[in-house]
Amino acid sequence: MTRAWHWLAAILLVIVPTAASPQSMTLCRAKAELLELGSPLEIARKAIATRKQLRIIALGSSSTAGYGVSNPAFAFPAQLKMGLDKALPGVDVDVVNKGIGGQDVEEMVTRMRSEMEDNPPSLMVWQTGTNAAIRHMPLEKFERWLRRGMTIGKSLGTDIVLMNLQYVPAVVAASDKEAYEKIMGAVAHEFDAGLFRRFDIMRGWYEDGMPYAQFVQLDGLHLNDFGQKCIGKLLTKAVLNSLNGP
Amino acid sequence: MAALPVIASGRDIRLDLFRGLALWFIFVDHIPTNVVSWLTVRNYGFSDATEIFVFISGYTAVIAYGRMMQRDGWMRAAGRVYRRVWQLYVAHILLFVAFSAQVAWVSEARDTPALIEEMEMLGLGQNPYRAILEAALLKFRPVNLDVLPLYIVLLAAFPLVLPALLRRPMAVIAASLALYAVTSHFDWNLPAYPENKVWFFNPMAWQVVFYLGAAFAVLGPRLAWLDRFRLPLSILAVLYLVFAAIIALSWHYNPLERLIPAFIGRIIYPIDKTNIDILRFAHFLALAWLVRLVVPVDAAFLKWRIFLPLRRCGEQSLLIFCLGTFLALSGQVIVDHFEESLLSQIAVSVGGILIMCAAAYAASWFKGGGTAGRDRAPAAEVVP
Repeated sequence: MTRAWHWLAAILLVIVPTAASPQSMTLCRAKAELLELGSPLEIARKAIATRKQLRIIALGSSSTAGYGVSNPAFAFPAQLKMGLDKALPGVDVDVVNKGIGGQDVEEMVTRMRSEMEDNPPSLMVWQTGTNAAIRHMPLEKFERWLRRGMTIGKSLGTDIVLMNLQYVPAVVAASDKEAYEKIMGAVAHEFDAGLFRRFDIMRGWYEDGMPYAQFVQLDGLHLNDFGQKCIGKLLTKAVLNSLNGP
Repeated sequence: MAALPVIASGRDIRLDLFRGLALWFIFVDHIPTNVVSWLTVRNYGFSDATEIFVFISGYTAVIAYGRMMQRDGWMRAAGRVYRRVWQLYVAHILLFVAFSAQVAWVSEARDTPALIEEMEMLGLGQNPYRAILEAALLKFRPVNLDVLPLYIVLLAAFPLVLPALLRRPMAVIAASLALYAVTSHFDWNLPAYPENKVWFFNPMAWQVVFYLGAAFAVLGPRLAWLDRFRLPLSILAVLYLVFAAIIALSWHYNPLERLIPAFIGRIIYPIDKTNIDILRFAHFLALAWLVRLVVPVDAAFLKWRIFLPLRRCGEQSLLIFCLGTFLALSGQVIVDHFEESLLSQIAVSVGGILIMCAAAYAASWFKGGGTAGRDRAPAAEVVP
């Protein structure tokens, strides 16, 4: 009987430290080089310099919409707005959330023009790739639509930052997720757009020993409160790096 | 089926007990950083307390209104259902207001610029009038206020299904499964506010849990044929629960996670909650099957005094649900204030459950006309 208690105590000791996913942002990190977008964001800079204004549109699917977070303010676009407000005093920052859960790249491209005409931005954060990867959209189709979207975005005179896939069980299980990621990197480079390397950042969390439960909802796909807040903070940092860089 | 089924009249203690347990779980799980949530089902498999709550709600809906319809006719039963729907609606709106007030109060008390951030929490930041309108239409449901609207929609449709349910429960199960399948396939959902939001618990999918519970209540003893397959079903259930537990625990332990073969991940993910993924549903059914075997309706231990607080909470489910949701937010604030210390997590969980129990006892004392020493709630008022 006492043996059983010892075992139970041992198990509890193992469980307890990792058990209660802390919400504190001290765990929220990324390697410095992963926070380089690779674009100076000229249009956004100019808008800040001349008009004291930064209009951002966040186009995307469920991550952008903030599916399942306990507080809409935790979704990364809201975090971006709060972070930039703090970092850029005197600048009128606005982040419009145009995330619709479940949408894939072609649906976003189809509505991109009208969304941007309603809210003309100087920076578009375009989060995509995850739904394509888990639904196995043909790679060439994905690339074709991605280019089409980039062409539309550029023609409307905005900086673009692509946010790639999230590193979560549902995406990790997809056999060719890296291929989608690569396409996004190549297309971003080709269109002089920024790339927010969410996949590598989150893979870093996992490889540093952070369990999925800390940053993913129990469906194995969506970011939870912590994951959303942290991505929002890191995106803010990356955007500021670009705006303040050479 | 000529004769109408005989619906069990005695109060099934298990319903109150497990509903009470589900309510405790919901409270504990709604505090984001809470070590006590390791005592809930959520971390050991795919399904969580929501399935238990919705299933029992369907079951008790038949117990309460099925017999009423047989005795007093459809009109009267439907009237009573809509009276209940109205109670739920009022409770939801009250909860919404209490929630908003609590957020505002906390922000004021902290006296920081976080106020705007916190109000954003309720989506009241940009357009409060619109948000209030949308809340009244159940389209706007911030922060964990998703379960009651689901329940309201399910119960509001219930009178329309009830006559068919009593005559042809198997046909209702088939129709319910069909709606569930079609909804998941085409990704249907009800409109929400703001437009890019969805009903986190999609009523058109979650109805399958509710109506399975309802149909089982109608079928009652006619489910006994399942016992012929007791052994194979139990083995299947146990195997599946073990599998689910391994997967669920792997989300907490990366070394375990690395042992899961990639092809399994490809099959199971994502495990959708909005449209209750088939893996979740099956997990709940496996759990329910084993509970049915381990906890027969006449099990002596059900009447142990130690379980009385759970039963009381289950009997007063609406009150306790609302209170629990409200307390979970308070708990979150307190845990946050103490920098998520273990002690604060445990204290808040225990304190919250004590408050819920006190409220349940008080409510059943009032309902009983203020007389002490009763062992059970009045039989006439079995509420879903």
